[in-house]
Amino acid sequence: MPLEIVMPKLGLTMTEGLIVEWKFKEGDKVKKGDILFLLETEKVTYEVEAAADSVLAKIVIPENDTVAVGAVVGYLALAGEDPALLDIGVVAPESTPSTAGSTVSESIPDLELSVSRPETEAPQTNDRPSSTPLAKKMAREYDVDLQTLAGTGMRGRIIAADVTKAYEAKNQIKSQVTPPAGEADADKLVPFTGMRRAIAKKMLASKVDTAQTYMTLTADAMKIKAYREDLLPYIQEKCNVRISLTDILMKITAAAILEHPVINTRWTDEGILYLKKVHMGMAMALGEGLIVPVIRNINAKTFSQIAMDRIELIRKGRENSFLPDDISGSTFTLSSMGMFGIEEFTSNINLPESAILAVGAIIDKPVALAGKVVIRPMMKMTLSYDHRIIDGAEAGKFMRTLHSFVENPIRIDA
Amino acid sequence: MADKRKVTVIGGGVGGYPAAIKAARMGAAVTLIERDLLGGTCLNRGCIPTKALLQAAEVVQTIGEAPLFGIRCDNYSIDFKAVANRKDAVVQQLREGVGTLLKRRRIKVVCGTAFFKDSATVEIKETGEKIQSDNIIITSGSKPGRISFEGSDGPDVLNSDQVLALTKLPQSLVIIGGGVVGVEFAQIFSRLGADVTLLEIMETLIPGADREIALALEKSISEAGVKVITRASIKKISRQKGQNTVTFEHANDFKSVSAEKVVLAVGRKPDIAALELDRIGLGHKNGALTVNEQMQTNIPHIYAAGDVVGGLMLAHKAMAEGEFAAAGVMGGKTDLKPKQIPNCIYTSPEVASVGMTEAQAAQYQDVEAVRFPFSACAKALLMNRTFGMVKIVAEKKFGHVLGVHIIGPHATDMIAEAVLGMLLEMTVDELAHAVHPHPTLSEAVMEAGQMFCGGATHLP
Repeated sequence: MPLEIVMPKLGLTMTEGLIVEWKFKEGDKVKKGDILFLLETEKVTYEVEAAADSVLAKIVIPENDTVAVGAVVGYLALAGEDPALLDIGVVAPESTPSTAGSTVSESIPDLELSVSRPETEAPQTNDRPSSTPLAKKMAREYDVDLQTLAGTGMRGRIIAADVTKAYEAKNQIKSQVTPPAGEADADKLVPFTGMRRAIAKKMLASKVDTAQTYMTLTADAMKIKAYREDLLPYIQEKCNVRISLTDILMKITAAAILEHPVINTRWTDEGILYLKKVHMGMAMALGEGLIVPVIRNINAKTFSQIAMDRIELIRKGRENSFLPDDISGSTFTLSSMGMFGIEEFTSNINLPESAILAVGAIIDKPVALAGKVVIRPMMKMTLSYDHRIIDGAEAGKFMRTLHSFVENPIRIDA
Repeated sequence: MADKRKVTVIGGGVGGYPAAIKAARMGAAVTLIERDLLGGTCLNRGCIPTKALLQAAEVVQTIGEAPLFGIRCDNYSIDFKAVANRKDAVVQQLREGVGTLLKRRRIKVVCGTAFFKDSATVEIKETGEKIQSDNIIITSGSKPGRISFEGSDGPDVLNSDQVLALTKLPQSLVIIGGGVVGVEFAQIFSRLGADVTLLEIMETLIPGADREIALALEKSISEAGVKVITRASIKKISRQKGQNTVTFEHANDFKSVSAEKVVLAVGRKPDIAALELDRIGLGHKNGALTVNEQMQTNIPHIYAAGDVVGGLMLAHKAMAEGEFAAAGVMGGKTDLKPKQIPNCIYTSPEVASVGMTEAQAAQYQDVEAVRFPFSACAKALLMNRTFGMVKIVAEKKFGHVLGVHIIGPHATDMIAEAVLGMLLEMTVDELAHAVHPHPTLSEAVMEAGQMFCGGATHLP
């Protein structure tokens, strides 16, 4: 069986990915760990490695095409398999982003390894799995396909318990997919995970313990987009990372914060603590929860360093190898919902910080410019701020600076 | 050779010697410690000697039936000394066989009483020899249980070990305890000519067995001449002029029965006294070692198997557990944990069962039970052994066989088919449609299966 190469899901929010570059041609030998292709989401650029020593047998999705998470983008042939003879029943998926992530993504856990061996190797049709008489009868009754089961009995024999397990799993999926209106499907109680309890506590405290207030600006994102396009090839060549719009926005926001120190503060019992350095938190979905990895002292870092930090933090998140320092000590947080097409939203302040910035999608809009209606890529940013510390006028001044930096990124170096 | 894993097995009974052989076969350097005789309780004081006596009893039964077959066998007599000698000869032959098997596997056998010096070192009490090992498997077995009441320590009150050492047949016996050991002794001594009374405190003999089967056994053993009294609560034993009078409460009345000897057949207890377990903190509960699913004690490199872990005390269970523990020690993953353990009683008729009783199964599932009588089996008629039945308990929806209970000729041999079938998750259909040879007793199992599938051929 050839190995499928699938579009990985790098976070809860990811539904599709763009294949930026294949690093190998069809027929090339690859080693385990070699970078197979680069993918890009609205937030990140990511390198996908080969899962095994093999031959890149087939590229299904060409460069510059976007596909849904979980879609097969290519196949690897293992040792002893002739890539030319592989019977790969490839149906190239439509690369329209609008249908992205509709069905397949359910079965792909977040941050899952990008290249995975199919869970059960499909058996030959004439090689039926051995199963016990009881298991056979139960499979018939419960409509469970024995071909899909891996037996746990002697020498892999399928036993009744395997069928029961598959049947229960099937029912569970059903009850998740069908709306609760269905009479046969009972409501389901999912016990709290530790992460869920921690999130609940923190989010509620943020609402209850702060005087949260909101303010939104609309900015023209044309220059910032161009700015990124200028930087991208240079940084890619220099550091082999692809800079994202979020990287640039984080740095710009931090530069604005430097001019308005009240944004970078913390409420304490003794008074308001002004923090010298800006440690930028980036809100990120992880598994079933959310986490805020931190880029430390972001003002002292170049764009390429920020991009590299971000990629490293994503890697750690994927490998579940965060160190405490990676996910604590942020002084301000930026949250982006652009990949969902959300134009405008508010974020909950990430305590003990005093403010958080919610960045919406860049959307082409008709705007009035010099007496004419023109189409420009527009972006809305909403600041949630703790009015105990930050007065409306202070927040307004900060937002004005931010607006000017987003529309003229060159100014951050002024 | 120096790299071999060192495994020490404490106890050379049917739990220990198979464990030693298995470990040796899987590449271990094995030492087996036995303080008495290889083969343990089963071979020396349990299964084998009792079955040797039961075989003699069976011969008596056959002679009794001989005229029916047209054979005259008048004027026979029973030489109990010779019966006991044959028993001992069989035991000795088997014991030597075990010794040979161990030698072939280069297993070092040490005679003496083992106790723990530390968790990796076992010391022999008699010689002071210290044996260090990577793993230890405790298969120290069990000893006859005791209950204390007035007169229970009298000179004519025997436990099962002492009964088997008898060289003279007692004229009369009272057996206290109607479990497996009690009913087998009752059968032996009754057939050999003694006057036997069997007292059981519970409602039926062989408590825990399927009720229907237990009642059938009571009927058959009573008809064979044993006086059976259930719900008898023992009060005391008094001794006068070579006669022992056992007083018991029955149906709100005090009754008594007298006999030359009294047998206490009140179960067995794990034997852990000599091991000095508390020095190494090895876990035990109610006198039995505690083990997990892998037969591993709370000290990970020490395993235990057989009677010493409590539960059902059966030789075949000890053997299977011992081998399973040895495989675990040696890192074997394919060995199946013994699951379907048959229960066997070697009376005539025999009793054998595996799985759940009808009452147990009915608690969990919608079940159906069928019975096929041996009176409808040609081979049983040929043998003049038509008493008994095959009873199958199956769940209704799929016909999954949950329990098989047989009382009848060769029940203990026939139960093996059910054990294998249940291990393979058979349903009544396989049992009903597997072709069984004719004429054999095994047809009764098939026909019982057919009763779930429209009816048995040989029943109206």
